[in-house]
Amino acid sequence: MEDTGQRSELDAAERNRYEWQLWVPDFGEAGQRRLKEATVLVSRIGGVGGTAALQLAAAGIGKLILAHGGELRLNDLNRQLLMTTDWIGKPRVESARRRLRELNPHVEIETIEANIDEGNAADLIGRADLVVSAAPLFAERLAMNRAAVQLGKPLVDCAMYDLEGRLTTVLPGRTPCLACLYPEPPPHWKREFPVFSAVSSTVGSLAAMEAIKVLAGFGEPLASRLLVFDLRNPCFETLPLRRRPDCPVCGPISRPAP
Amino acid sequence: MKLRVKYSGQLRTATRCGEEDVGWSPDRTLAELIAHLAERHAAGRPHLLSDSGAIRPSLLIAINDAAVMANEANATRLRDGDVVWLLPPIAGG
Ligand SMILES: [Zn+2]
Repeated sequence: MEDTGQRSELDAAERNRYEWQLWVPDFGEAGQRRLKEATVLVSRIGGVGGTAALQLAAAGIGKLILAHGGELRLNDLNRQLLMTTDWIGKPRVESARRRLRELNPHVEIETIEANIDEGNAADLIGRADLVVSAAPLFAERLAMNRAAVQLGKPLVDCAMYDLEGRLTTVLPGRTPCLACLYPEPPPHWKREFPVFSAVSSTVGSLAAMEAIKVLAGFGEPLASRLLVFDLRNPCFETLPLRRRPDCPVCGPISRPAP
Repeated sequence: MKLRVKYSGQLRTATRCGEEDVGWSPDRTLAELIAHLAERHAAGRPHLLSDSGAIRPSLLIAINDAAVMANEANATRLRDGDVVWLLPPIAGG
């Protein structure tokens, strides 16, 4: 993420494309160059992660690695906004690549037609500067968390259910990790859950903003805090989180604040 | 005394209410409250307690917006007007 000159310089087309966000105080051209230098891994590009990827592509992230196995189904289309109806039966990641390139051809896109597991997590996370974790299963989220903490990579965990969303940013060694919150996968969570795209997209957009802030180095991330919102009777709250001293994932790791 | 209890995630679905008032007494603990709620809302029980009756370690608990760990519930007493918020994990993505 260091400014290495040539590669992160913005050309005239990029300056024009990002003009309105370059006006954001504390971001500016230095922030835009940091985004251009950055690689973000998005685990699953469904209702939450798909929108996060869309927002990151719009914002000009240098490279996105998209991991999601399987083919598009008709009943994905109420929320998976990177998909198109003509793509049913074909790999989701290919539709995502096409849509994101249509939006912003400056973004390099690598697609992995597989979900994250213990076997591929460390390799994929090792190649990214930050991770957006949006899988519908705790096993995947906890595998992402374990590898991200071990490799010292920031991880934005974003989740939803019904009209509710939750979001926290894990800064390894400095904040609680996902295993501090959830030491065991809850046995009654199901892969299929009630969802409107308006909710999953909200969570995904919030996750993208967390990623943009952490990568560009401005604002305050949701560190040691869980943002919880409920759109049924709209309310946004943040809940302070505590590290588990005996956490098997982050317990042994401690880094001083930079 | 009276508490305000808020339910999130699948617990909200199971209890069919976002929040409710619960009459309580100052000598009873948070662990007793959670056991009481598990009885009051049978459908919510699996999100609160394991089969052995222990509080699920992954249940997020907050009292007046301060986090409380499940293993602290036995030693935690409640005061009139406390807001107890129970959030079982969610992972929709
Ligand atoms: Zn931890």
